[in-house]
Amino acid sequence: MSKPILEGRGLSKDYWMGPSRLRVLHGVSLSVAQGEFLCVLGPSGSGKSTLLHLLGLLDRPTEGGVVFEGEDAFAKPKRWRDRMRNEAIGFVFQFYYLMPDLSVLENTLLPAMICTPALAWPVARRRHRRRALQVLGDLGLAERVHHLPQELSGGERQRAALARALVHKPRLLFADEPTGNLDTATGAEIMRVLARLNKRDGLTVVMVTHDERVAEQADRLLRLRDGRLLHGA
Amino acid sequence: MPNEWLAWPWLIPAIAAGGLAALALLAAVLRTPIYKHIICLKYLFCGWKAVVPMVTALPAAIGVFLLILVFAIMNGFAYDTREMTRGTLADIIVDAHMEGLPYYDEFARRIENVEGVQAATPIIQTYAVIRVKPRYTGIRPIVRPCVVLGIRPAEKAKMGRFQEYLGRERLVKRIQDQTDAVLEALRASPGPASTREVQTYLILDILEDIDKAREAGLCSFEECAPAVQPAVKCLELLRKGASPPGDAIREAARGLHSLRDSLKQRRVAPEEVLTVQAGRRGDRRQGAKEPSGCIGGIGVIGTPMPHAVSEIVQAGAGWRVLLTFVAALALVVFLFVWQAGRRHRGRRLWRLATWAWAGAVLALALEATFIPVVPSRTERQEVIDFPLVDYGGDLVVSTIPVRASGALDVEAGGIPKVSSRVLTLVDTFKSGYWEADSTNVYVDFATAQQMAGMDAQPSSDGRAAAPARASQIQVKVKDPARAAETVRGIEEAWQTFVRERPEVGPLHLTVNTWETQQRMILTVVEVEKYITALMLGAMFVGFGVLIGLISYVMAYIKSRDVGILKALGAHDAGVGSLFLGYGFIIGAIGTALGLSSALLMLHYLDAIELWVNSTLHINVFPREMYYFDHIPQHLSAEWCVVVALGVLALSTLASMAGGLLAALKQPVEALRYE
Repeated sequence: MSKPILEGRGLSKDYWMGPSRLRVLHGVSLSVAQGEFLCVLGPSGSGKSTLLHLLGLLDRPTEGGVVFEGEDAFAKPKRWRDRMRNEAIGFVFQFYYLMPDLSVLENTLLPAMICTPALAWPVARRRHRRRALQVLGDLGLAERVHHLPQELSGGERQRAALARALVHKPRLLFADEPTGNLDTATGAEIMRVLARLNKRDGLTVVMVTHDERVAEQADRLLRLRDGRLLHGA
Repeated sequence: MPNEWLAWPWLIPAIAAGGLAALALLAAVLRTPIYKHIICLKYLFCGWKAVVPMVTALPAAIGVFLLILVFAIMNGFAYDTREMTRGTLADIIVDAHMEGLPYYDEFARRIENVEGVQAATPIIQTYAVIRVKPRYTGIRPIVRPCVVLGIRPAEKAKMGRFQEYLGRERLVKRIQDQTDAVLEALRASPGPASTREVQTYLILDILEDIDKAREAGLCSFEECAPAVQPAVKCLELLRKGASPPGDAIREAARGLHSLRDSLKQRRVAPEEVLTVQAGRRGDRRQGAKEPSGCIGGIGVIGTPMPHAVSEIVQAGAGWRVLLTFVAALALVVFLFVWQAGRRHRGRRLWRLATWAWAGAVLALALEATFIPVVPSRTERQEVIDFPLVDYGGDLVVSTIPVRASGALDVEAGGIPKVSSRVLTLVDTFKSGYWEADSTNVYVDFATAQQMAGMDAQPSSDGRAAAPARASQIQVKVKDPARAAETVRGIEEAWQTFVRERPEVGPLHLTVNTWETQQRMILTVVEVEKYITALMLGAMFVGFGVLIGLISYVMAYIKSRDVGILKALGAHDAGVGSLFLGYGFIIGAIGTALGLSSALLMLHYLDAIELWVNSTLHINVFPREMYYFDHIPQHLSAEWCVVVALGVLALSTLASMAGGLLAALKQPVEALRYE
């Protein structure tokens, strides 16, 4: 097995509901190898999304830590984690999370816009635009680049979200129920794209889902129930 | 006014510092990620929801507009009042009150040796009652209280703008301005009908003023009318739409120049302004005591009467301003139409609507730019002080002389002895400063001294001889900005003078700058100015709350966007500053709209006022009430900068409500918004 790109070590997460504490993750540890397609399967409310948010450096664990590419992510400053999310990590969410005021192309360019100063944008824009159009073309959205998200179908929106996650060539892709809001055929199409990216481009994918059929596409399957992994990482 | 700014010693360093600060700010902004600028602009101008920030910018625009406009006008009142007051008085007034200052000439020479002093002149000031017999039959004589000021005209002329405020001087200047206008009209080719009408009236105005000049003894009608005749012929041709031949124009110009030269030669020298001209009414009073000349304030020798005043207005200016406003509003609406059209780019109707609106905006802008602003003549009623006495007419001025001891001269029975003089009106005085114009009567120094009882008194009946006295010494300084220092110098000179001349005796002398002496009226105007500014400024508190609320609601509504941006690696501060930029741009739009409209309004203020007056018949600025012949305005660049920066800072600070909400929001929490 190749060396792990991501490790979760004893991850616990508490939420406070007024005075009472709710622990949604109980010391979850797992490791994701480079080029692996890992799926975390669990029913609704089992803590899958929370786990994904912790691994994706979007949230801070109550206990435990995340090692990303050999670095203890939560020992590093927040700016480092922001930079990693911008440069090395891509996210695909169940509800697409495209910005409604931006066109498909502008949504795809967002990661590049976030890391490029305004002064450098006139020069960098052409390069980033070319790359975004290429990714959108690969995902079959060449004709929809100037449309607003609300003018697209569910499948198209998810592909646009996928294009945004891929445009900056991430080393790790997190997918949170990517087919959860799509019909079967469209969901299968998205899964085919993810599988292709993993097999052809060697992209590491961490996906969480409650759908057994979707999970079948993954190299490795972990089951999560009540905030605990049923099988070891 | 621009010259004042140009003369400011810190102008270049201030511009350099401002430029550097602006460059540093621009560089700092350009170093930030581009997403903030793009998304901020999308929030501002994308779709119909952009109406919200635009509507929010309106209170800022109205606030800036009112604050600039009102402050400029109030500042104009204060500035013009100061200028007129200062022009009437002098830089420094050494006041000995009713007691009078002996050896005033000697002390005046000593004052002239104080550092910073340019000239000094003694003045007599006493209170009197004036009786005016109107030149019109059927009107009873008018009796009014007044202040008699004894001056040495040549010296007084050096103190302020005394000479400029004299009726003859004003008349000569007006005729000179009118001849300039006629010469300009002759050089121009025939214009539209309204222009030709104005050109026709120009000559009528000159003829009317020549008649007044004749009454004032500046020229005879027979002398002046032939000089104007060629110009009348040329203007007549212009009125008919024809161009006058070159020879005729040259002849008209020669005539007008000779008129100007003739009037210039007839101008009365400062030292002679109080001299009664020989022959005038002298024959009527043969054998009588020759009366002295006097200059009466226009409010003393006149009475308020309604009068039709003709004004040359810039017709079209009001429409131009109105259309510019409409074009600006249409442009804002166009941005919405354009943005909304983007979502329906396939629909022909939207495309047509967008183009139609763009065309409308362009047409309005062009119309506003090219709408002809031509001079036009209009008449309006105003109340002016109409002189009741002709030049050469008699005024009877009565005073009660007060002796050096403070005692009044009394007649048998202990009744105060009244000293009455018949004075001949030789000129009128109008400074625009009502206090002076309605009370002051200027007479020769020696005459006033006698009237006030301040002339030298020989010893008699056991009483010691008293030297002649003066009420004041007015001082002109070289640098008005350093007048306060000069005041201290004069006070020291006075102490020395009293030590060296003990016979002066104990005397309460006050030395003040004109500003200190007139502080009541100036302070009232200043206080009014700041209270108005404060009240209008309070409006901005409401604007600040509005901006804070809008940015908070915006950050709340856009929670998901905040989460998306943070998930994609945007920093907390960066996302927060997006909403600060949102508030800043709303403030900038408001400031730009308010500032430009206020400057435009101020530029055409008089024309707009006359347009409102003639079109809507609303007398916005009753001149008789304010005693200014135009709406005064004095725009301060510093004030514009303060207001603009204040609004920008306020809008940015207020939008921190939204900025903080966005910055502190956890991405996971924000993404759960769905």
